[in-house]
Amino acid sequence: MQNIEFRFYEIYRSEEFLLLLLKGMFVSLWLTIGAAIFGFVFANLLAVSRLNKIPIFGILSAAFVEFTRNTPLIVQLFFIAFGLPLLLGYQWPFWSHALLALSLNFSAYFAEILRAGFEDVHKSQIEAAKSLGLPKMLIFVKIIFPQALCMVYPALNSQFIFLFLTTGIISEIGVKELTQAGVYIDSRTFRSFEVFFTLTILYIFLSLMLKTALKFIYNRIFFWAKFR
Amino acid sequence: MKTIFIDLFGKPEGIVIFQLLAATRFTVYLSLISFIGGAFLAAILAYFSIKKNSSLRKIATFYIWLFQSTPLLMLLFIFGLGFPRMLALEVNIWFAAGGALILYASAYIGEVWRGAIESVSQNQWEAGRAVGLNFFSTFRLIVLPQAFKISIAPTVGFMVQIIKGTSLAYIIGFSDLMYIGKRWANAPVNGTEPYIVFPIMALIYFSLCFPLSKFSNFLEKKLQQ
Repeated sequence: MQNIEFRFYEIYRSEEFLLLLLKGMFVSLWLTIGAAIFGFVFANLLAVSRLNKIPIFGILSAAFVEFTRNTPLIVQLFFIAFGLPLLLGYQWPFWSHALLALSLNFSAYFAEILRAGFEDVHKSQIEAAKSLGLPKMLIFVKIIFPQALCMVYPALNSQFIFLFLTTGIISEIGVKELTQAGVYIDSRTFRSFEVFFTLTILYIFLSLMLKTALKFIYNRIFFWAKFR
Repeated sequence: MKTIFIDLFGKPEGIVIFQLLAATRFTVYLSLISFIGGAFLAAILAYFSIKKNSSLRKIATFYIWLFQSTPLLMLLFIFGLGFPRMLALEVNIWFAAGGALILYASAYIGEVWRGAIESVSQNQWEAGRAVGLNFFSTFRLIVLPQAFKISIAPTVGFMVQIIKGTSLAYIIGFSDLMYIGKRWANAPVNGTEPYIVFPIMALIYFSLCFPLSKFSNFLEKKLQQ
């Protein structure tokens, strides 16, 4: 058996590779954060229409959530990136397909968590708001939504980190993000173990960074949670 | 068998559906291997973390943290490309895909089981000791049944994640449902366009996953009472 040697220097001595990894990290981050924001907004619509049993939309959103949660992201991604443009005859850049697929995927997971949160807000809170004469819209925006979000924030948080770790597969449709950078470096150097080990560490680093940022946001927005 | 599908769905689609269903077999096998292997490792991890403040517990915690923060794709690349090229030997695709998915599954199932054992109150352990059961009997007769009840629904739920996770194994060349489907989608044959093949694949995955997640929800509701 030949002796095993590690050549991490082949990665970190090359300016091109380092730049590629750095760019990949930025693309991964902004696509994930963008998808999370769009996904969160859409998830609220899904959860609300499902909870209030709005005709047609309630059933549609339930079907969408179940279907998205029970099929792999990669199939959804390929359908959105290769199927839909061919069917409807449009041409978008790669990253927009990725953003759309990730947003829809994220929204289904977030909707399920948000729905549980909305259900868990205490009835007495809503009754109190009604007795004060608040209109239905304001009750949701001012009473239900903040409390529910505060309750489900930790769950949303860990779901987001979990989903972030699955975003690597958007490299499969040619988006130049972190995994794609790794695959490219791997094809140039053939030091697969070193490359993907480095990539793993970068992913862990990014997820720790996102976790810290989310905790900071939590402390900023939900400072009142301590006083309840 | 094949002719029935061709009769039912017409020329290209019948063949595609037949081949996809045949390839689904390997998705199911790989999921089962990953689940059983992952559950075996998870049992060891959960056992390690019973005793508070032991170094074994720290090892288990670190292991779970490490493999929960590692993307499955990276595990697949390391097992499928990294190790074979580093050691300069041929690795069977089942070992590579199975190994990566087992490590992935073990971390998540281990976390669920560890949490379930921890959520059984300390009083139960002490009560067991008080009636004269030794450590192992207390664990087996008192703690384990309660922990089982808590952990069964999330464990079944995680099987869905494993099935979805196996769809990534095509990247290192594992010819499962995803691999065959992608090949058909790329084939220049009329009737196998991506917008036909991928929904069919999604339906097959859905029919594998949906019963499991419904079953998980059912267990959760039933055992909550």
